[in-house]
Amino acid sequence: MAVSAVHLESDAFLVCMNHALSTEKEEVMGLCIGEVDTNRIVHIHSVIILRRSDKRKDRVEISPEQLSSAATEAERLADMTGRPMRVVGWYHSHPHITVWPSHVGKNQSTPLPHQFHNFSFHCHGKLFQLVCLRHSFSTTDVRTQAMYQMMDQGFVGLIFSCFIEDKNTKTGRVLYTCFQSVQAQKGSEYERIEIPIHVVPHEAIGKVCLESAVELPRILCQEEQDTYRKIHSLTHLDPITKIHNGSVFTKNLCSQMSAVSGPLLQWLEDRLEQNRQSVIELQLEKERLTQELATM
Amino acid sequence: MAASISGYTFSSVCYHSANSNSDHEGFLLGEVRQEETVSISDTQISSAELLQVVEVHNHEPCAQLFSFYDYAGKVNDENLNRILKDRHKNVIGWYRFRRNTQQQMSFREQIIHKQLTQLLGVPDLVFLLFSFISTANNSTHALEYVLFRPNRRYNQRVTLHIPNLGTTSQQEYKVSSVPNTSLNYAKVIKEHGAEFFDKDGVMKDIRTIFQVYGALQDRVQAVCGEVEQNERVKEKFQEEVNKLKQQIALRKQKSAEEERRLQEAQNPEQRPTPEENSEPPETSLLSRVIFHTPSTPERLGPSANPPSYADLLSLQDDSLLPSLSSPTSAALLPRPQAVGSPGHPSPSPLGLNPSPAPSPSTPYLGNGDGSSSDSLDRQAAGQEDDEEDDDDDEDSSEYENLVSEVAQLPPVTASVLAQGRPAALSPDGDASVLGSQTS
Repeated sequence: MAVSAVHLESDAFLVCMNHALSTEKEEVMGLCIGEVDTNRIVHIHSVIILRRSDKRKDRVEISPEQLSSAATEAERLADMTGRPMRVVGWYHSHPHITVWPSHVGKNQSTPLPHQFHNFSFHCHGKLFQLVCLRHSFSTTDVRTQAMYQMMDQGFVGLIFSCFIEDKNTKTGRVLYTCFQSVQAQKGSEYERIEIPIHVVPHEAIGKVCLESAVELPRILCQEEQDTYRKIHSLTHLDPITKIHNGSVFTKNLCSQMSAVSGPLLQWLEDRLEQNRQSVIELQLEKERLTQELATM
Repeated sequence: MAASISGYTFSSVCYHSANSNSDHEGFLLGEVRQEETVSISDTQISSAELLQVVEVHNHEPCAQLFSFYDYAGKVNDENLNRILKDRHKNVIGWYRFRRNTQQQMSFREQIIHKQLTQLLGVPDLVFLLFSFISTANNSTHALEYVLFRPNRRYNQRVTLHIPNLGTTSQQEYKVSSVPNTSLNYAKVIKEHGAEFFDKDGVMKDIRTIFQVYGALQDRVQAVCGEVEQNERVKEKFQEEVNKLKQQIALRKQKSAEEERRLQEAQNPEQRPTPEENSEPPETSLLSRVIFHTPSTPERLGPSANPPSYADLLSLQDDSLLPSLSSPTSAALLPRPQAVGSPGHPSPSPLGLNPSPAPSPSTPYLGNGDGSSSDSLDRQAAGQEDDEEDDDDDEDSSEYENLVSEVAQLPPVTASVLAQGRPAALSPDGDASVLGSQTS
């Protein structure tokens, strides 16, 4: 049965936005951690940014190690909060394209070879490799979501659409949507169910969200290192080609530092300053209210 | 003119706006610089153009509306200085976040902008307008943003770029060398190319840049740790302030009740009849909910039996919201933000949503609807006059309930979005490449 709504904590929303806006050339993705209450409302408390195993432009994959880490992270959050936290959904971005999850094209042929045992992502021998193929209007978002829901009916999908501009009015747009999949009849096409989603105010940024946010530069660097190591291990390259590849690595790392690490550090410093100011104001307000209460 | 804002600053504005139970505003800090662009035409005559580039580095959110101006739009210099402190010189613009409104500057905003331009001494002060709209069933939300140059003719709009990684794909790596049988070539590049590598065969530059990256990441972690501690301290103070406010509200309520009982006891024949009571208990309780909402709602636990989501969304009459007995929990519920409708019940299993006609809007909790705060303020101040309406019919109200049609929406959802937005604000079907790449 479909969930009735999704409540996304605003600090988790912040991390999703940061992640989605980090690149306009590729889709990014992550997992949502939270809980489902008795009213079938999914509460998302934090997100985990995922590495991309396949960096091709038109697909997004999750490695089994990351899925396992996500489960571990959910358990850690459960210990911290005393609540039954688990992976409750996934999110990914749609830069420059519509926010609506697309349906499977008839020529989609990439198999989904294995299946997870359960959504705590403890890999028991087999692993579930999620592939989100995207062509212009025939992606597998809905089908991917349906695969998740086979194991967890409460699993939800979020899409963040960004880097969209109306040239006539110079209006930029960022959209986010929530959905699940349903199959009207066995064997028929999967259809999308729209799920209400609300961003719930959370004035302070949680520890888990902050840790997720600063994980992005590390993930990007690891991806770059892994690729470079594979290239570097090729023995048939001449010195000029090796110098070229080394320069590409340097260039890409510089891009990451200037586009991600630098602005991230700047934002953290600004946040620190804003918080210091807020604390001063809150202290003054506390004193004022204490005095007011004392006179009553 | 070109303008850019980092994704982190942009997200931060969205975050502050999401936490706000009404409109949200603040200042944009950054710098404006001139870039010379040289274009060469077929006539071999190069022409240099100066391009003004506005870079937004960060933002200074205002804690509440009307923090530096009054209801008439008159800016208070003292309050402005208190907010900006020593960052006056860094202000390049200001921003406003509104829900369900047109993408145009309101009359008050124009008045404020003119004053800010003079007070801050920034001739080309910019204004960034965020507008938030949702589908009727709240499954999809859009945040639209426009950067205005109000001091230019026709209130010029400027594209706002969000610099990002661009492509991080590793397609630039070469997996093979260009075939070359020249012995001289091989000899020279081997001899001189060796300078680039250390004894382990790793490029020296890579080690160096990796050290830079490592140091930067360490610093990011360290500052993140400070921010985390700071957040907890702020959270703690906020909780204490909220508790004090609740205690004060409770005391006031008790004393008001005692006073009323006392009056009733002294003058029993003057006890008001239910028909004469001009303030129905539901309304007064609702008022108390609105004005005494804690600023940081506590989190509902799954065992707390939250009100039914369908109950919240399908409020049709004047009956109490199920959570009104507990103002704290009422504020915890997300704000319905759909335009004009009370929201949607849970979607049908086949994903076919009915197409409801616009119906009375769901009452917002804690001024979730920007119109509620401003309309109440306007009523209180009595500032709304006909002159404003006559001058600006198009943007007479900051809180007009107008939503654009998104053509790519499925028919069932598109039909519930009201018209009102200029047709030019068409959906994202013909999106263009946007954003500056730093590579």
